[in-house]
Amino acid sequence: MKKIESTLIKEQAYVEKLENGLTVILIPKPFTNKKYAIWGTKFGSIDNHFIVPTTGNEIQVPDGVAHYLEHKMFEQENGKNSLDVLMSLGVEANAYTTNNHTAYLFECTNHFHEALEELMNYVQHPYFTDENVEKERGIIGQEIRMYDDEPSWKLYMNAMECLYHQNPVRIDIAGTQESISKINKEILYDCYNTFYHPSNMVMVVCGNFKPEEMLQEIQSHLIQKPLQSSITRIYPKEEKGICQKYKEQEMEVSMPIFMIGFKDETPKQEQVKKHIAIEILLNMLAGKSSQLYQSLYKQQLLFSSLDLDYEFSEQYAHILIAGQSRDPQKVKEQLLKEIQRLKENMPEEYFERIKKKVYGDYVAEYNTVGDIARMFLSDTMKGIQTFDYIEQYASVNIEYVRKVLLENFDEKNMIMSVIKEKNN
Amino acid sequence: MSEQKTMIKPGIQFHQIKTNKFKTNLLAVFLTVPITKEHVTENAVLGTLLKSGSKTMPNQEKINETLEGMYGAVLDSGIEKTGDNQVLKFYMEVIDDDFLPKKEEILTKALEVLLEIVFDPYLENGIFKAEYVKNEKEKIKQIIESKIDNKAAYAIDRCIENMYENKAYSIYRYGYVEDLEKITPENLYKAYIELIHNCKIDIFASGNFQEDLSKKIQEHPMIKSLPERKENLLREENLSSISQPKIVEEHREVTQGKLVIGLVATPQKELTNFNYITMVYNAILGGGANSKLFQNVREKASLAYTTSSNFVKIKENIFIRAGIEIQNYEKAMKIIEEQLEAMKRGDFSQEDIQNAKNLILSTIEGIEEEQDAEISYYFGQEIAGNQITIEEYKNKIEKVSKEEIKQVANNISMHTIYFLRD
Repeated sequence: MKKIESTLIKEQAYVEKLENGLTVILIPKPFTNKKYAIWGTKFGSIDNHFIVPTTGNEIQVPDGVAHYLEHKMFEQENGKNSLDVLMSLGVEANAYTTNNHTAYLFECTNHFHEALEELMNYVQHPYFTDENVEKERGIIGQEIRMYDDEPSWKLYMNAMECLYHQNPVRIDIAGTQESISKINKEILYDCYNTFYHPSNMVMVVCGNFKPEEMLQEIQSHLIQKPLQSSITRIYPKEEKGICQKYKEQEMEVSMPIFMIGFKDETPKQEQVKKHIAIEILLNMLAGKSSQLYQSLYKQQLLFSSLDLDYEFSEQYAHILIAGQSRDPQKVKEQLLKEIQRLKENMPEEYFERIKKKVYGDYVAEYNTVGDIARMFLSDTMKGIQTFDYIEQYASVNIEYVRKVLLENFDEKNMIMSVIKEKNN
Repeated sequence: MSEQKTMIKPGIQFHQIKTNKFKTNLLAVFLTVPITKEHVTENAVLGTLLKSGSKTMPNQEKINETLEGMYGAVLDSGIEKTGDNQVLKFYMEVIDDDFLPKKEEILTKALEVLLEIVFDPYLENGIFKAEYVKNEKEKIKQIIESKIDNKAAYAIDRCIENMYENKAYSIYRYGYVEDLEKITPENLYKAYIELIHNCKIDIFASGNFQEDLSKKIQEHPMIKSLPERKENLLREENLSSISQPKIVEEHREVTQGKLVIGLVATPQKELTNFNYITMVYNAILGGGANSKLFQNVREKASLAYTTSSNFVKIKENIFIRAGIEIQNYEKAMKIIEEQLEAMKRGDFSQEDIQNAKNLILSTIEGIEEEQDAEISYYFGQEIAGNQITIEEYKNKIEKVSKEEIKQVANNISMHTIYFLRD
C-alpha cells in the first residue's frame, strides 16, 4: 500500500490498486469510535451512452437509470433487502447518485465486520426482476415529485440548461416520470455489468483500524470477476460558450431566488490549484467581508450570505453563485462591477486574509469520518488526491489567482437562473 | 469524553467538553427564555442583530475581517425553540492551534470575540444603531415570510401550530411580521438588557484544551458585570389525548401532498422510563428502513418516497410524515392507522425491538463524534434537568421490554391530522 500524508494537519491515508482493478483508500483515525465505509462506482446520471466492454455493443439508456439502479441494488435474491439488514445491525446505511458517480455507504460504531460483509455482498449481487423493478417506479416517481416542489432544485436545473447545450449534466439525476417508465431489468443489468466492475470502482474506509488488516478484510469479500477493459463513454460534443443567458420560472417562493453561473473549460491540469484559486476569488468577490456583499446587505438586496461553489468533473466545470433577493438583476449588475474592480486592483492584504480563511475551511473538513471518506471518494472520481488541497495551498499566490480571475470570470460565459414568486 | 460543569454564578453555567477527536474547537453561548408572543419577535431580531457589530468591531466588515484572519473562524447564530422556551444560540468554530500552518494562538482570541459579540454590542448614543435595527428587522421579516419556501418543513410547523393553538408551543420561533413594526432601536435595546439580565446562560467549549477555561470565563469583565439570575424556564402542561382527531387541510401550490400527523403519548405512572420506551416505540413505527411506516407505506404500497416518524421527548409527541400523491390520501391514512393498531396489538417481534434499539443505540454512540451534537446533548440535559451518562442512557434503552412498548402503544392517539395539498 502506498502511504500518503499531510504533515500540516497530521493525517495519513493508504492507497492500493488491487489486481482486479479496485482502488482502495484507507484512512485511519485512531481517536474516533465511528467507522465509515463507502463504495462508489464511476457511473452517474451523465453516463447514458456507452459501449459495453464485453460485447462491444453501443447502447443508449433512458435518463435516470444510474439512480434507478442505485434504488434497486438493495434487493436480494433471498427476499431480503440489504438496507433493512444493515439498519437492523444498528448501522446507518444509505446510497446516493450524483452526476458522475453512485455510492453505497454505511456508518457505525458497532458491527462493522458484519456490515462491511453485507455492503460488499449486495453491491456484488444484483437481483432485478420485472416485479421488483416495477414496484420501485412509484417510489422514484414520488421522489421526482418531491424535487418538483423544491424551488432550489429547479433553480439549479434551469442554471444547467442555461450553461450547457448538450452536456447531460442538464438532465435531472432521477430522470423524469416519462424516462423512468422505460427502465426495465434488462437495461439495469446492462448498466450493472458495465459499470459495477471493480476496475471502475473505488472503496474508501475511514475510522479506527489497522490498514493492513482492513485491506485483507476487504479482499476476503471480493468475488472473482474476469478483468475488464476500460469503458468507452460517449458524450455529445459540447459547443463552446453558454446555451442561454437567462431563464426564469414562477413558483411559490416568498422572494426570488437566483443562481449566477460561469461556464468554464474543463480543467485538464492543475485542477486542485485552480479550485483553490477559484474558492479564494469567490470569497474575495462575494464572501461575507466582500465590499459587494456588505453593499448589497445595506441596500437590503441580500439578507444572508451567498452560496459560492465551483463544480467540476472530467466532463463539465462551472462556477455558481446563488442567493435570495428581491432584485436579482441588480445583484448581477453589481457583481459584474465588482469583478471588474477586482480585475483592476486586487489588494494584497485582502488576498492574504481570504487565503487564510480558505485554509481553515479545508482543515475543518477533516472533522468527521463521513466527511473525510466522502471527500476522498468524490475527489478520486475526478482523479484528485485530496491532501493536495492542503499541500498545494501555499503555492497559490496572488499572480496565479489574478490570472484565474481574468480567464474565468468573463461576462460572455455568464448565465442567470431565477425562480420568481407567483403573482396570485 | 468528559463534561466538566462549572457554575459561574447562579443562572450562568459553563460546560467544558474535552475531546481529541476534532480539528476544530467549538465555542457556544446559549441564551434561554420562556417563549412568549410578546417577546419572541424582538428576541429573534436580537439573535441576528448582535452579529452586526460589537464594541471593538463596529460593523460586519470588521467582524468578518477578524474571523477571516483567524483562519476562517465561523461565527454562527440560530433561533430555536426547545419545549416552551426560545433559545438564542451563538457559535464560534475555530481551527485548533495545532493544525495552523504557523504557530498562532487563536483559541483565546475566539473566546474573546464570541463573548464580545454577545455581551458587548455596538451602540450609538447608548442604543443600537438605527440602520442595523432596520436591516435586521427586514431580515427576520424575510425569514418569517420564507417559511413557505420549504414545503416539508412548513407542513410540520403548520401541524404543530394547529395542534397547539393558543399555547406557548405554537409560537413560531422567529416571531410575527406584525410585531416587527413596533420594534425601535430604543425598545430593542431595552429588550436586550432585559434578556441578558434575566435569561438562563449556558457557555460551552468543546475541544482539545490543555487548560481549564472556566477561570478565564469567570474573570472576564463582561461576564463579571452580569447579575445573578433565577433559572426561569417555562414548562406548560403537555397535551392530553382527544377522542376525535382534529383534521386540517391547507391548500397551497404543491405537486406532492405533505401529510403530517401529530400524536399524543400519555405517560403512565407505572412506567418510570416512559420517554425511553416511547423512543423505542417510535423507532419501530417510523425510525428507519425497517420501520412499519417505511415497510408498509413505501416498500409494500409504493405510496411515498419519504415516510417516517419522530418523537419530540419534551412535549411527548410523535409526528408522522409522508409525501404522497394527493389522491392517495385515504389509502395512506388507512395504512398508517393499521400500523398504529398493529403496535397496540403488540404485532411486532423481538427482532423488530432489537432493530429499533440498535438504531437508537448507534445514535447515542454517535453523540460524541460531532461537536455540535455533543453540545446539544448536554444542553438538552440541562433543560430537562436530568443528568445521565451515555452509559446509563444506553442501559435504559436496552432494558425496554415488549410489554412496556405495548402499554405505551395503547396510550398513544392521533391528535391532529394535517394535509398540505393543491
